[in-house]
Amino acid sequence: MSCEEIAKLIPLYHYGELSPEEEEHVDEHTHLCAACTRVMEQQRTLAAALDRRALEVPSHLLEDCRADLMAAVQGGAPRAVHTGKGPWTLFIEAMAHTFGSLNRLSQPIGAVALVAIGFFAAKLTNGLPGSVPGANLASITNPGGEVYSTVRSVQPDPESAGRVVISYDETRRCLLKGRINDSNIQKLLVAGMYEDNPAVRGESVRMLKNQCSSGEVKETFLNALTDPNPDVQMNALEGLKPLAGDPQVRHVLGQVLRMPANDAVKMQAIELLAAHRDETIVGLMQALVQREQSNSVRLKMEKALREMNASIGTF
Amino acid sequence: MTPQVDGLIRAAQAGDQDAFEQLVRTYDQSVLRLAMNLLRSPEDARDVYQEAFLRVYRNLHAFRFDCSFHTWLYRIVTNICLDQLRKRKVRKEEPAMVETSEGPLDRMESFEEDSAHADPERSFWNRELKHRIEEALQDLTPRERMVFELRHYQGLRLRNIGEMLGTTEEAAKNCLFRATQKMRAVLGEFT
Repeated sequence: MSCEEIAKLIPLYHYGELSPEEEEHVDEHTHLCAACTRVMEQQRTLAAALDRRALEVPSHLLEDCRADLMAAVQGGAPRAVHTGKGPWTLFIEAMAHTFGSLNRLSQPIGAVALVAIGFFAAKLTNGLPGSVPGANLASITNPGGEVYSTVRSVQPDPESAGRVVISYDETRRCLLKGRINDSNIQKLLVAGMYEDNPAVRGESVRMLKNQCSSGEVKETFLNALTDPNPDVQMNALEGLKPLAGDPQVRHVLGQVLRMPANDAVKMQAIELLAAHRDETIVGLMQALVQREQSNSVRLKMEKALREMNASIGTF
Repeated sequence: MTPQVDGLIRAAQAGDQDAFEQLVRTYDQSVLRLAMNLLRSPEDARDVYQEAFLRVYRNLHAFRFDCSFHTWLYRIVTNICLDQLRKRKVRKEEPAMVETSEGPLDRMESFEEDSAHADPERSFWNRELKHRIEEALQDLTPRERMVFELRHYQGLRLRNIGEMLGTTEEAAKNCLFRATQKMRAVLGEFT
């Protein structure tokens, strides 16, 4: 290949867009050609200079954009109260409005709630109003007596002609209010982090962000690092910040670097790992830095290695 | 497309606004970052965001899952950004100030190298380099700028970029090559 042809391939080489054969041609040529090696160096200098002009989006701008959009979507009128919060937050907050009905609550309502929220609610029995005076759980209600039914089977009644037998499940919607640091509330929020609905997972992780000292919350946050939603992952990383020195946390953060994750998530994981030097992580980053596809992540990794007084790459 | 995004799209198509909001939140940060870096103006980036997601909202019923939602969304976003860049080319203007977490900042100062303060010669060299980079970027055609932005800053593959811009991978490769050639030429002795 001529120098002209190689020069055309160099930007693609830099961005990992060549086939293995083409890469080999470039490697072989630049190994012997000083002029093309210089072009390759120029490409790297240019890329590094361009990386420094990248702008981060101010968080208030993102929030403003979201609020404007949702106002426009809802018919041009601004939301009555734009909270930027998802259904789980609204759910928790909405319970304040039902607080007035607390006095009417009694043990039977508590029993209904146990059916509705299942396994996790079973652990709440001791915290229900009326069970333990002064407990952190403020209220658990079934506003409007809402009941949802799912019909499981319908068949003619074998014992009586003209009648039917219907089997159905009944779910009652309950509202629960309590402090974030209450262990029972935390159990429900942890359950929320395993919900299918990403909005519920997102709001649950945001609320638990400062509660990572609890072992159960920590475990759930570590699981959340593999959540398909980057917003959930970012909030889980934020919550794990105080535990950046914990070996178990560091092990999982190392796994995040190995998997195909969102760039922002990887960069945040690198930041947490760089706060404490350990040889395993240094070795891992040195192995990954060369083959990292994203420039931002690669630069972040290089910076982390420098901060940990380690060389960039293995030799 | 993950099953979750798929579910959100279907729910939003059925009129579920919470699902639409969640769908927006899954992608909007990268959309805003793209607009912000291309246009270097928070106001323009905000306009792009609003127009792009309103188009998504109005046309989501027509999304048939024949490509990834990300590609579909980015086709909309890149079209709006390209229009903005073309208008700017005609007006020959570029906002000088950008919004950062520390408040408004001259875009030339936004990539000041930390260590440069200690070394006046290096500081001068860096300022000159930044100036040249801005000049070089302004010399790119809107399409070259877009391909470069999507590959360098957003880390997208050229095959996807071609798909988003309604062109081939080969054409995207040529665009990237021309963009880097032009920049290397303008930067000259700085690289």
